[in-house]
Amino acid sequence: MDGQAVYFDGQTNRKRSVVLRIADRIEIVEQDIVVAAWPFDDVRQADGPPTALLRLACTSALPLARLEVADEATKQTIVSHCPLLAAGRGGSQLARIVFWSLAAACSIFGLAAYGVPAVADRLVPFIPQAWENRVGEMVDRQIRFLIRGNACGAPDGQAAFATLVGKLKSAAGIDNAHEPLVLPSKIANAFALPGGKIYVLDGLLEKAQSPDELAGVLAHELGHVKHRDGMRKLIHDGGTSFLIGLLFGDVTGAGAVLFAGRSVLDASYSRDAERDADAFASQTMGKLGRSAAPLGELLLRIPGAQAKGISTILDSHPLTEERLDALKKGQSPVTGNALLSDGEWRALKRICRP
Amino acid sequence: MNDQVTVPSIALPNQVSFFDRRSDFRRLVFRGALLEFITAGFYRFWLATDIRRHLWSHTSIEGDAPEYTGTAKELFLGFLFAVAILSPIYLVYFLIGLEAERWKAFASTPLAIFYYVFFQFAIYRARRYRVTRTVWRGVRFWMGGSGLSYAWRVALWTLWAAITLGLALPWRQAALERFKMKYTFYGDLAGHFAATGGALFKRGWLLWLATAIMVFSLFGVISIQIDALTATWPFIQLLLLPFIYGAYKAIEWRWWVSGIRFGDVSFESGLRRGAMIGLYWKVIGWVILLTVMLMIWISAAVGIAYLLSDFKDVAPEKLLSVSQQVPVLLVIGVGYVAMVLLTWMVIRIYLIHDVWQRVAKSVTVHNVAAAYNVTTRGSPVGALGEGLAGSLDMGF
Repeated sequence: MDGQAVYFDGQTNRKRSVVLRIADRIEIVEQDIVVAAWPFDDVRQADGPPTALLRLACTSALPLARLEVADEATKQTIVSHCPLLAAGRGGSQLARIVFWSLAAACSIFGLAAYGVPAVADRLVPFIPQAWENRVGEMVDRQIRFLIRGNACGAPDGQAAFATLVGKLKSAAGIDNAHEPLVLPSKIANAFALPGGKIYVLDGLLEKAQSPDELAGVLAHELGHVKHRDGMRKLIHDGGTSFLIGLLFGDVTGAGAVLFAGRSVLDASYSRDAERDADAFASQTMGKLGRSAAPLGELLLRIPGAQAKGISTILDSHPLTEERLDALKKGQSPVTGNALLSDGEWRALKRICRP
Repeated sequence: MNDQVTVPSIALPNQVSFFDRRSDFRRLVFRGALLEFITAGFYRFWLATDIRRHLWSHTSIEGDAPEYTGTAKELFLGFLFAVAILSPIYLVYFLIGLEAERWKAFASTPLAIFYYVFFQFAIYRARRYRVTRTVWRGVRFWMGGSGLSYAWRVALWTLWAAITLGLALPWRQAALERFKMKYTFYGDLAGHFAATGGALFKRGWLLWLATAIMVFSLFGVISIQIDALTATWPFIQLLLLPFIYGAYKAIEWRWWVSGIRFGDVSFESGLRRGAMIGLYWKVIGWVILLTVMLMIWISAAVGIAYLLSDFKDVAPEKLLSVSQQVPVLLVIGVGYVAMVLLTWMVIRIYLIHDVWQRVAKSVTVHNVAAAYNVTTRGSPVGALGEGLAGSLDMGF
């Protein structure tokens, strides 16, 4: 049969009025001359306007050659003759897309949950100490930026602090020349940076009732340094945010969507690290002939979420029943001398308020 | 698709028309958001392709609808290549940032400038991809030019616009459009951009003045004593912003369309100044509604977990530890992702479909006959730019 159509040859944009001769293929006839012939099996539907117009392409013709058919009868004939009309711009591939996306998502989440921690564990021993110190210096700058003001420097308090930290460091087998500092902040927190530098915020000092309580916290923090948890967390967080960023197309990991996923993964990750650091604190305090149980007592005394800038030690070290139990069980009998004399302890407590 | 619907061929010969099928589009993006949720975001390539196919094919220039020939598979491949390229860059960026922070706290912030410039490169390449996938009457549009040389132009012009407090913005837009259009072709018909920065400035300087007064008075309010009357001023300004931005966008669109030339074919837009303002308000309304819904969702999740839990802690600590439980975090995460996807849906409907529709309908084409015998030239380029742009920013 014959039908009317508009033909674009794919070479120029000239709108050519043609007749379609549909027999064993579609012959495109312009002024009685066959200008092209499209085999039925090669004809595909192209994206066209949502009107009654049928727009066709042909896989064996020029890629942009198009036929536009408006006439209903001709359209019916073409639809009935061309079996692969709907192929190409698939609509039936939805199940495949969903399946493979889910497979990819599972693989990425699996990698983030198990692969990244494993890689971080294996990688950390190979990171040179010098690099770790650099990271420590970086964190150092940020802490000093967030908590403005100079370190507290009452000389007798500083001397007592150095004595306490010195004892802990030698028991923990950590060797560095960083001077420990107390910063004047009401926030109850303490940090040991990668590389071993120790900061105590005055807020924690205020809450501590004995040298052992403070020493317990510091021994715990030194445990993180010894186990290089800071570096592990860095690799871990970087890797996870990168992987989850892949899912949502934000490779920089800056998207807010990531935080939901990251905190889920991080929560279980840091719990192990906390348990190990607690065990390390118990060991270290044991070597000094003291008990690590006061660590738990001090943490119990700190109120939860404290606003402004840096959060309390509780936010990064959630206190669980399990942890308290473990600390009590690991308690060794007190055999050694007090870590600081009463006078030294009083001086340390007043280091920011001489 | 819609065989029953017969539409009279478009009335005005040189008027661009848009076949309004908003409900189809709404269904398309809702289904897309749902599938994005199910596929953890991977469906975005298919959705972006479907959106473009819809917009292109529903537009009509002298009775003929353009065709979008890009495929989701190309976008997906572009994304994979982008990941391969960006991964090492990401690592280097991370390490440089680390070193900068070590030198001085937050010294790594200027690195964001690098991202901005790189993003412009990606945007240019993405435009090239879209242009070469646009076909009208069996001949494709295409585009050359270097993304890098575009990126540094953007960087310098942006800097200049910032220094001049936005006064140079119209000339920035004009220079960048000139660059893009100089390398844009329809077959063998070369494009160029004829509108000037001065023309845009003439239409928009009142808006600039309004913004300047607002910012100035805001600082004024902060520095002087705050009483009940002046305290409401920032709030009033917040309400004025969508009006100003909406008006600016309409002015800019109209100016842009009227500057486009392909050979002797020229375009003109009669877009009204107020044409976009309503759209921005609708988006704001929806985002507020969605945020409230998310807050209700989170409170419900935490509240239920609070009642079910048997922690022995006192109330505030209990609330803290309850909200850190993995199932609660997961429920919150699901709510958050759903909100993000719904927000994107709202944006796609109002700021992509409706803006497109309003701009398209406002366009008149002059001298179409100059494009009656165009020979095909240029070839399609890969979708790497789309991948890079998509990886640096989730936008459309």
